[in-house]
Amino acid sequence: MRKSALSFIFLFIFILSFSLSYSAEKSPYKVGVNFELTGPWAEITKTLRNAMVLEVERINQRGGINGKPLELIFEDNGFEAGRAAANMTKFTKDPEVLLVVGPFEDTLQATTRAIAEREKITNIIVCPSNRVLREMKQRWAFNIAHNDIIVSEKLVDLSLARKYKKILVFHAAHPLAQTLAEYYKRFGEEKGLKVFISPETHKHTDIDMTPQLIKMKPLIEKEKMDAFYACTSGPPGPIVCKNLRALGMKLPILGTHAFGFGFIIALGGEAMEGVEFPGAKPVVFDQLDENDPAKSINIEFDKRWRERYGTPSDQIAGYGHDIIGLIENSIKRVKGKVTRETFRDALENTKGFKGTHGLYSFRPAEHDGLSKKDLVFVRIEGGKFKRIRFPGFE
Amino acid sequence: MELLQIIPQFLISGLTFGAIYGLVALGFVTIARASQIINFAQGEFVMLGGMVTFFFIKSVHLPYLLSAFLAIGVVIGLGFLLHLLVIYPLRKASLPILLLATLGASLFLSSSSALFFGTLPKALPPFSGKDLLEIGGVSFSAQSLFVLIATFFVLFLLYILSHHTHLGKAMEASSTDPLGADLCGISRHLMTFLAFGVSSGIGALAGIFITPLFYVSYHSGTLIGLKGFISAVIGGWGKYGGAILGGFILGVAESLSIAFIPAGYKDGVAFLILLLILYFRPKGILGSPFIDSRRW
Repeated sequence: MRKSALSFIFLFIFILSFSLSYSAEKSPYKVGVNFELTGPWAEITKTLRNAMVLEVERINQRGGINGKPLELIFEDNGFEAGRAAANMTKFTKDPEVLLVVGPFEDTLQATTRAIAEREKITNIIVCPSNRVLREMKQRWAFNIAHNDIIVSEKLVDLSLARKYKKILVFHAAHPLAQTLAEYYKRFGEEKGLKVFISPETHKHTDIDMTPQLIKMKPLIEKEKMDAFYACTSGPPGPIVCKNLRALGMKLPILGTHAFGFGFIIALGGEAMEGVEFPGAKPVVFDQLDENDPAKSINIEFDKRWRERYGTPSDQIAGYGHDIIGLIENSIKRVKGKVTRETFRDALENTKGFKGTHGLYSFRPAEHDGLSKKDLVFVRIEGGKFKRIRFPGFE
Repeated sequence: MELLQIIPQFLISGLTFGAIYGLVALGFVTIARASQIINFAQGEFVMLGGMVTFFFIKSVHLPYLLSAFLAIGVVIGLGFLLHLLVIYPLRKASLPILLLATLGASLFLSSSSALFFGTLPKALPPFSGKDLLEIGGVSFSAQSLFVLIATFFVLFLLYILSHHTHLGKAMEASSTDPLGADLCGISRHLMTFLAFGVSSGIGALAGIFITPLFYVSYHSGTLIGLKGFISAVIGGWGKYGGAILGGFILGVAESLSIAFIPAGYKDGVAFLILLLILYFRPKGILGSPFIDSRRW
């Protein structure tokens, strides 16, 4: 009797340990996603979410990473810093969550980065970094989008290629637009351009910039400006273009990489014709060079995207694709156990990961993955984005 | 010298905004004249006018004009619903409670719009193909002219309604002399109901006329509604002419202020003007039938 009871207990422990090890092997890599799923950017972040879901499903169908599936846990921050912080904290308290993706918007990133730093968890942020945050040299935060420095450098190239001498900058009143304007002036003046930053600014919520533009008109005419740089993002971009044209000013308009969102053309209509900007590769992926690795990645992704969602893929969907790709790539490179610490180290050592946007490389001193080479010159023509080339600049 | 050259351009821009504020203010005044209620969902009617037109054009593929008329119909229907579901059940409540109820309705309408039509901003094409006009070095878009015409057309219609029809007089009586209206057999609830319909129609019309100038998004109604309200108060709360005058004063003052101070303060100027007018002439410029000046 005692013998059989003992063997029963052994059998029980054996089964238990086996099932535990089995479940440990199958337990997924959990990724917390902290996005603005409601609020003004809801439609954009839904595109991001769709792209991430599409990629995760593809990875899991192939058998996951190291035999383990990838799992996304979505939380909506409603475009509020408080909720973004609460979501971030919630994710950090769950020991199974390996890293957190999001927020999308610049105004929320300072909060989540601080929490990531304190709680020691990787935070992949979609929007570009800015100068103030970069100077903090945070270990745990990584930015996906092209930053202000490379965009400004590329825009200076565009201005030189177009032989513009004098450019007036009209920037939005938020830190990223401000540093974009400042870097453009600094890099431009190094190359002999004359850059005027207008003291007039605009807010993200402004629906009409006519008064500011009227105030700039005498300067534009007096200095005979060669181009006008609408240093902004979102709806103000097309509004500035519309207002400028309505005032009868015909000078060329330059934009930021945020002009690559499809809704910008729909909003600005005819006023957007001829606007040129440094654009992300997915914006004009069908017009990339044949030897550009981003071209085939985009074509393949666009095909899957169309099959699933019925629309063409875009710049934002591309970010979603690349984020999941980077996560997969980093986990695969981890030697030994995948923890928050080892994952971070692996992500930081990413060298030349090929995504829809180009090549991502991170270094301890550089947590912005993309470089100037990952931007192309784009012109809006006939209501479409068209790649333009200048010999010697690309 | 430079300033003198650009002043006419500022004036034109200000007049365009003045016409917009005036048009929105007329919607506020219409309801106030029939029931003394301040309807803070007025800005949402403006937003919905543009949004529903966009929906009919882009999703149902109807012609522009038909979409615009349908949108006005839909928004008038919503105005009636707002009265039936929010205002009428609260008919015994005091005015501040009704004001809060309309504020709630405004939040409800803007969030619903985000759910139905999405959160990305939308633009309508201008009414006329060639949009840029230039007179003596001052350029402006043809759409501004349309807005100006619409504002005075609505003012004219409201004048006819209030001065030359029994319905209009009954609407006014139910607000200025409730007891007298009751004794004459006027149903005050019916009058408020109709006023909500007229006011939401004006709002929708405003939305359709101004969307080609800017854009419409689910949260764009709030600020424009607030500016319309301020215009109505500046001009004289409860007066149609006052609403238009207030609109033009506000629009031109905002626009001209940018000539002298940075644009970031533009929205503040509206509130500064309101404060100054309330200090020195609480009844508004043309005087208000609802505000008893003896209290000051």
